[in-house]
Formats: sequence, C-alpha cells, structure tokens
Amino acid sequence: MRAWMKATVVPAIMLLSLATSRADEPPPPPAPERSALDAEVQQLRREVVDLNRDLFMLEEDLLFPASTQIAVFVSMDVGTFFDLDAVQIRIDGKEVANYLYTAREREALLRGGVQRVWLGNMKAGEHELVAFFTGQGTHQRDYKRGTTLTVEKGVGAKYVELRISDRLRKLQPEFVVRVWE
Amino acid sequence: MVLRLIIAMAVFASWTAPVAGSVPVAEPAPVATRPELGAARISVPDPAGLPPVKVQDLHYGDVLFHFYSRDHFDALVRLSAYQEQGYLKPHARDAELLRGGLYLSLGQHREAREIFERLLADTSTPAPIRDRAWFYLGKVLYASGQFEQSERALRAVTAGLPIELESERRLLIAQGLMYRGQFDAAIAELDGWQGPDRWTAYGKFNLGVALVRDGRVERGHAMLEQVGLLETTDPELLSLRDKANLALGYALLQAGQPAAARIALDRVRLQGPQANKALLGAGWADAASGDYQQALVPWAELHGRDLLDAAVQESYLAVPYAYAELSAIGQAVGYYEQAIEAYDAERARIEESIGAIRAGRLLTAALNADSGTRPDWFAQLTNLPDAPESRYLYHLLAGHEFQEGLKTYRSLEAMSQNLGGWATSLGAFSDMIETRKSAFAAKLPAADNRLATVDVADINRRRDELRARLETALHDRDVTALATDREREWLSMLAGVEAELATHPGDASFDDAREKARLARGVVIWNLDAAWKTRLWRAQRAMRELDAAVYDARTRQAASVKARQGAPERAAALAVRVDAVSPRVADLAVRVEAAKAAQGRRLADIAINELEQQRSRLDEYSVQARYAIATIYDRASAGAP
Repeated sequence: MRAWMKATVVPAIMLLSLATSRADEPPPPPAPERSALDAEVQQLRREVVDLNRDLFMLEEDLLFPASTQIAVFVSMDVGTFFDLDAVQIRIDGKEVANYLYTAREREALLRGGVQRVWLGNMKAGEHELVAFFTGQGTHQRDYKRGTTLTVEKGVGAKYVELRISDRLRKLQPEFVVRVWE
Repeated sequence: MVLRLIIAMAVFASWTAPVAGSVPVAEPAPVATRPELGAARISVPDPAGLPPVKVQDLHYGDVLFHFYSRDHFDALVRLSAYQEQGYLKPHARDAELLRGGLYLSLGQHREAREIFERLLADTSTPAPIRDRAWFYLGKVLYASGQFEQSERALRAVTAGLPIELESERRLLIAQGLMYRGQFDAAIAELDGWQGPDRWTAYGKFNLGVALVRDGRVERGHAMLEQVGLLETTDPELLSLRDKANLALGYALLQAGQPAAARIALDRVRLQGPQANKALLGAGWADAASGDYQQALVPWAELHGRDLLDAAVQESYLAVPYAYAELSAIGQAVGYYEQAIEAYDAERARIEESIGAIRAGRLLTAALNADSGTRPDWFAQLTNLPDAPESRYLYHLLAGHEFQEGLKTYRSLEAMSQNLGGWATSLGAFSDMIETRKSAFAAKLPAADNRLATVDVADINRRRDELRARLETALHDRDVTALATDREREWLSMLAGVEAELATHPGDASFDDAREKARLARGVVIWNLDAAWKTRLWRAQRAMRELDAAVYDARTRQAASVKARQGAPERAAALAVRVDAVSPRVADLAVRVEAAKAAQGRRLADIAINELEQQRSRLDEYSVQARYAIATIYDRASAGAP
C-alpha cells in the first residue's frame, strides 16, 4: 500500500517539475511560423522607426522652416538648490509654453538631458524672451524666478538654452541664458 | 526512498537553472520586476553606462532627455532624424553607441548588432566606446542564445567598464557557461568575485547552483545558504532569497537531509511566488523524515490555494497519501474524492475559459490587466472579475512566452496608433500646403509692388559716392568737407566778403575789413581743424553703420526675392514629400494590423495550449485519484492491512 501510494504520487511530482521548469530553461527555438511572424514584427518596427524619422523631419521642415525657426531648450546641472516643477516661456509678452515636469523628466535633466521645451517660428528682428522657473528652493521653500533675454533673430535657426545651475557661493540656483547659433 | 530522490533531483534541476533572468537589469530603480529568461532578460542600456559626456550639441542633449526619461522610441526617432539633419557631429560615436543601445532596448537585435559591429570595425573608435560596444554586442548575442560568441565579445572588453556594467558582464559570462554545461568554468568565473551587494548576491546564487551541478554539493549548499540567509528588505533580493532557499531545500532533500531541507524551505515567504513550491517541498521533507502528521500541515495549507498551481494540484494527492500513510484510510478516501471533485470542477472552468479565448475575448482582458509598465500587475490581477476569459490570466501572464507575446502585441498596438496619428497629420499637412499656396498667390501682387519700390542698386550707388567723398577729404585733409551747415554758411559768407574786397585791391580804407575777414576765416578754419579728428571718426563710424544697413537691405531684398521665387518650389517639394510618405503610412498600417491579428491568434494559441496542458494534467491526476480509491477499496475488501 505504502509503496503503491508513492508510485501514484511520484509521476505527478515529476510532472510538476517539468511544468515549472520551463521558465528557467533557455527559450526553445521558435517554430517556423512563429519565426516568420517575429521577423515580420522586427521588420515592421524598423520601418516604423524609419518612417517616424522621415515624418519628424518633414513636420519640422513644414511647420518650422530653418529661416524662422527658434527652439528653446532647458538644461540643469547640479540641482541641489532648486527642484524644478515647471517652466513658462513668453515671447514678446505672449505665453508660448508652459511645461510641468514629472519626477522622471527632472531626473533626466539632472542626468544631463537637455529638453527642447518649445519649438516655434519668429520673424527676423529683436524679440523679448521671458522664462519663469517654478519649483522649490533650499529648505523646501517655493521658488519662482524669471529671466529675460533679448533675442536678435536673423535668417537662420536660433537656439536658446535656459540653464539652471547652482551658485555655490550664494547657496542659490542660478538661471543662465545662452544663445546658440 | 529512491523514487523520492528522483523527485528531488528533477525538481532541483528545474529550480536551479542560472538566474539569468533575475540578473538586475542595469536600468535604475525601480528594480522590483526582473524579467525571466528569454528576450526580456536583455536589460535596457544603462544611462549611467554611457560614457560621461559634456553636451556640445543641444540636439544630442534632447535625445538624452528622452532616453533618460525612458521614452526610447522617441529618443531613437529623434536621434536618427538629428543624425540625418547633420546635427550631433560633436557626439558622433556616442550617438551611434546610444542608437545601438536603443535598438537593443526595442528588441531590434539585428540593427543593434550591426551598429556595434560597425563601431568596433572602426579603428578610430575610442577605447571607452569600444568597450561598451563589445559589452552590448555580447548582450545581443547572449539574448539570441549564441553563448560562445557572446562570451568572446564580453571578454573583449579591455579598458574596463563602470562597476554596474562590469558586474553584469561577469554574470553574463558565467550564465552563458552554465547554459553550455561548463559549470567548472562558470565556477572559476564567479568564485571569490565580489561586486556591488546586489550583484554579489546573484553571483553567489549562480555559483551555488554551478557547484551543485558540478557535483561539489557541500560547497554549493553553503553558497546557497549564504544567499538564503540574506538580511534584506529589498523586494528583489527577497525574491532571490526565496529562490535560493527553495533550491537549497530541494538540493538537501535530494542529498537525503530532510531536516535541513525543512529549515531552508521554512525560510521561503508564505506569500511569494515560490511559496507553493516551498510548501509542497516542506511536506515532502516531513514525509521523508517519516512524520506524515507534520507533512499534512504544509500540504493542508496548499489545499486552500488556487488549484491551477501545479503544487496545489499536487497537494490534493499528497494529503490523502499522507492520511493513507497514517492508516487513516477513511480520510484518505474522502480526500481523494474531494480531489476528484475539485479536478473535475477546475476542468469544467478550464473548458469554459478555452471557449471564451476561442471566441476572442482573451486579448481585451489581458490588455486591461497588464498595462505592460506597471510593476504591480500581479497584485492588480487579484481584483479581476471571475470571467472565463480572465480567470487564468494570472497564470498566463506569469509565463514567459505569453508575457513576451503580449509585449509584442502591445508594441504592434503602439505602432498602429502611431501610424493612425500620422495618417491624420498627413492630411493636415496637405491642407496646410494648399492653404499656403493660395495665401502666397493672394499676397504676391502686393509683395511684388513693395519690392519694386525698393531700389537697392540706387542706395548702393549713393553710398559709394558718399564713401568716395569721405576718402577724398581724408586724402586731401579737407577740413571743410566735414564742416557743419553753420560753418559752411560762415565760409560762404566769408567767401562773399573776400570777393567783394577783391574788387578794391588798392583801397587802404578796406585794410581793416580785409584783416577782419582774414581773422574770421582763420578762426573758422582753426575750429574746423581742431574738430577734424573727432568729425572724421564720427564720419567713418557713420559710414560703417551705413555699410551694415545697406548690406542688411541687400540681404533682405535677396532673401525676399529668393523667398518669392523659392516659395512655390518649396511648397511643391514638401507636397512631393507628403505624397511620397503617405503610401508608406498606409502600407505599414495594413501590415501592422495583419501582424496584430496574427499575434492575437498566437497569444490565444499559447493560452489554449497552456490550459489544455493543465486540463490533461488534471485528467491524469483525476485518473490517479480514482485508481487510488479503487485500489483502497480492493485492498479493504480483500482484507489487506
């Protein structure tokens, strides 16, 4: 009786081991029709990336031609004295961008990412750009600072970088504007 | 006893495959979910693993922003577009490395491999980038199961990697060796290795497994015990600790040490994914010690759990088995009958679910249940309605093949939405181009009139004349050339007086007047001479400003003319581009929909196959339970003890 009981249970246990082992073994070679579908998905993904690249450029050329294009970027270096919540951009008194940052995006800025916060068009000539940075300063105090720049727009594209950095001497954030050609 | 050893060996072999899938991916926190083996074991390229770089091109910074925000598709699109537009030149190689990494993260191994190989073929690629390219190439090869080539690539790293990547590199080499059965070499790779805490824990686990597989059982047990006794609150390490205790428990059971096995298995958390297996093993450890009463405790605990779990199904046979061993035949029969009922009920539910899946209701439930990004999808599944199509999702989603298939389906869904969005935009683009053409045609006459009123050539000629006069004055030091209007008036008046005086050359009565006129002219000239330098500087500055203004006017006029002439050409070129790209969008949309449908069918097949396997196992268990009852009755009627 005892031996028989073992005999009935054992194959079941063996089945259990087989059933649960699959996840831990290297994946089996795919069946031919699976392979074909996987290959098609890979090909599609590649083509969709290429198509998006072409459409991204087409959209820029159409909506923001180089002759009138202006782009505003936001970057951050250390960020010890300022925790960025939002950026507002005004051009010639008109609000053109108001961006709220997620924790992940703040982290991306701190890691060295530079966000293109606004892409638009401008006529040649002088324009006033005002940027407001909202967030928390030292000791979790709410902090809002504005910075103004007069942009001389010529015939080519213009890039403006708004950089938030730490001013160690004053233990305060510093907002620096830099124009790239 | 021999049979039990076979059981333990089989189970141990299954529990102790290298934890490749559990290797911490190099992505930053959260690290709670680690993929199982297969394509998902490839970790996303580590942002920290990119060579440190000072951004010299804002567009590269923009790509990094999307990459660090973990928006990999957008990062890849922007990177490719910016490269095409001629940006990113100061970061050419970093950008290529990143592009390869992004393709890798999207599962595009062929593209990733080509990029890394190209970087490596370029002898001018700097060492830090070469090393990373070797590393990621090694990962691509590992993911496609080419372990030997992967090892060669991973070993080609020479100058060193950041500690996280270096740790991953070493573990990948060891895991590749274990998959090839080269446990001795894997042991050599991992023995004594010390990395960051989390990596070291994985290293020790794999080392323990390799040692046991290599026959060095005692050391292997000791190593697994070290991981099994980890003091941690980190969910990932807790999960690893459970795996180590489970592996150790079954290994000790295999080695004929049930008491020690029980201790290890008791350390497995009761609510984790390994809990059911641990409870089943704990019962077997007690049974192996001859304590069937005690074995009933963990097995009875399993009895109340989800019957789709293999360990739970097993417990339905194990409990009556223990009662039979305790000579409680009546209870044994009762539990066997209960098992048959439970198996039959579960079988009926499986049939119903298979029907629902065949009717195409699985995907909606699966997509709703698993967002693809939430790490807590297991927890969320406990709240699913008990509908036939969603009842077994927990088990299906826990399977690697179904998870990967669902990921692919999601990716196709995302492509479909992306293409749909572009199809709408392209329509708007065409309208925009047409509107611009009409607006241009309407404004053209007025613009032409304005352009016609501006004679830049005349302005140019007049500026040249002015410059020539200034140069002559400078050459002759003609101070009168820079005289003010008033001074000119004076000089003119003096010239009149002097002319009048000249008509009376011998008349002495005019001598006084002559002297005054001479003096007056002297004063005026003196003043002009004194102001000469200042006036000359001002005149030259004014001339430079005039040059700039004339240049500006010329440039603007040229730009206006160019715009006037180029606008129709540009609009036509853009229209051509829109027309060229539209069929690509339409064609891809059709193909993506077809692939999505095929992938949906594949997912249903996987699910049905999985449920059919469960059903046939339940059938088999049911037969065994019936056979056991019949045998018990036979023996009872034959008067057997």
